[in-house]
Amino acid sequence: MIEKKYEFSGVLRFNHWVRVFTMLVLVITGFYIADPFIIPFYSSEPVDFMNALWRSWHVIFGFVFVASAIFKLYLFIFDRESENERISFFDFIKPRIWVQQIKYYMLIGKHPHSKGIYNPLQFVIYTIIFITFIFMSLTGLILYMHLYHEGLGGLLFDILRPMEVFFGGLASVRAIHHATMWIFLMFIPIHIYLAIFNSIYGKHGTMDSIFSGYSWHQKYFKRRKNKK
Amino acid sequence: MQNRGLEEKLSKRLEELSKQQGIDSTKSIQSILDAKGFSRREFMAWAGAMTAMLMLPASFTPLVARAAELSDRLPIIWLHMAECTGCSESLLRTDAPTVDSLIFDYISLEYHETLMAAAGWQAEENLENAIEKYKGRYILMVEGAIPSGEESMYLTIGAHGTSGEVSAKKASENAAAIFAIGTCSSFGGVQAAYPNPTNAHPLSDVTNKVVINVPGCPPSEKNIVGTLLHFILYGTLPALDAYNRPKWAYGQRIHDMCERRGHFDAGEFVENFGDDGAKKGYCLYKMGCKGPYTFNNCSKNKFNQHTSWPIQSGHGCLGCSEPNFWDTMGPFEEPVADKIYNTVFGGVGADATADKVGIGILTATALGIAAHAVLSKIKNPQEGEE
Repeated sequence: MIEKKYEFSGVLRFNHWVRVFTMLVLVITGFYIADPFIIPFYSSEPVDFMNALWRSWHVIFGFVFVASAIFKLYLFIFDRESENERISFFDFIKPRIWVQQIKYYMLIGKHPHSKGIYNPLQFVIYTIIFITFIFMSLTGLILYMHLYHEGLGGLLFDILRPMEVFFGGLASVRAIHHATMWIFLMFIPIHIYLAIFNSIYGKHGTMDSIFSGYSWHQKYFKRRKNKK
Repeated sequence: MQNRGLEEKLSKRLEELSKQQGIDSTKSIQSILDAKGFSRREFMAWAGAMTAMLMLPASFTPLVARAAELSDRLPIIWLHMAECTGCSESLLRTDAPTVDSLIFDYISLEYHETLMAAAGWQAEENLENAIEKYKGRYILMVEGAIPSGEESMYLTIGAHGTSGEVSAKKASENAAAIFAIGTCSSFGGVQAAYPNPTNAHPLSDVTNKVVINVPGCPPSEKNIVGTLLHFILYGTLPALDAYNRPKWAYGQRIHDMCERRGHFDAGEFVENFGDDGAKKGYCLYKMGCKGPYTFNNCSKNKFNQHTSWPIQSGHGCLGCSEPNFWDTMGPFEEPVADKIYNTVFGGVGADATADKVGIGILTATALGIAAHAVLSKIKNPQEGEE
């Protein structure tokens, strides 16, 4: 008998895929801004604002990214269906589960039975990645407020300027913004690989959980060994 | 209406100043201008330009002219620390004497090591006398970073052999206002760049009084004189940005007022110095222009009587008026993305950019993933094993 287990709510899955697309756009446009690698066809009419266009998309998706990060924080704190994420914290503080989890990834142990949805390693990495989201958003907003001085840019200016000073000036903010992107670029392949690894090695349909919301568990097995 | 209130306030301030004793009653700005062949019209044109630069309405021009005439009421003591004298040069090496340089050279400078005739003991005495005579009235301008603490002996000046740190502290104590002229005295500049062998510090680290920073390497003569005129007019310190720079000069990015900004937005870049793009005056971003990170008014005021400025002459901005520009802005002819980090893993990662380090770690990650995948295939639990 196989039973399905509800893991991720609809909004959470939606938010995840929005972020995937957003980060893809941001990385590509970001590399363009760092070193404009495409040169427009020369035109006698000054109407081709290629760099401005790339920058606009970067800014637009930057705000989608900020919104998605804020929404994720909201879900983590308030959403009832994210309870399974929150209780992962109790697994995180248990050394036994840490050891079991590391043994599992070293292919010499079984997956530990955990209360929450994330194992301790996941919990640490996701926390770091979320802090990186905030960091990326703030450095991005500092760069943005020097682009558009009215409206939101003007509103943020006096609030974020001291932070710009703390980071060592606008050029440093820019360098940090660029270097921090690489944390995401490291994270993404590892994240995808481990999701596939868990799907194949663990045979719980882990990959399916971010599409349909469900993972699949053998019922008899669960009763006997009390394993996820 | 708002202007009238300000006008009255400034007039009152100038009225009070005019009652004070000038440095030398035989010299006035009028007599100097006459002697150097400046007409009243030229002087008023200059005053008009300064008024616009200080973001005052045109009706304030007579007040600014009056402030220039009263500049001898607030004597200036100019100290040289660890520096190249480029900031003084910015004021002095003009193709013809300008009103700005005249005000400085002939009217208000009480003590300036490059310009004075005195030397040795006599110079020391002049400095001490000036500090004593104009106690609480003089404006202190400091050029150059200050080696401090244990390393203060790297800058030892004058007959008494006092360290720069000691003389800067002493002069700061009785000053009415303190201006740090140039990037070195504002932020440490090149001397304070990594690894900072002389422990050079900005003036604001040495004194606990408020220091107005007028950075630039060098700052334009207009920014120096403008800061002085602002203090004469208002008697208070100007509105300052996060780095204590006057907002009227350092409020906007070079990039935002740049004459080549259109080419930036269009994505038209110089790829090599001397290529077709360079001839057409395209944007210098890819040649490492740091205008997007630099706050200054070079793109509006230019240098040397509005003749030219770095970007107009075809080289990117170095970001010289920003703190730690030598460390944060380099390499100067590459975009910030190519910033070189001091990663020395036995020399392997020396001088690597973020992208180089990132690709290296990403490759290692890919290898790790591949190894883990192969191992997990071998170790893969057989069907029904568990």
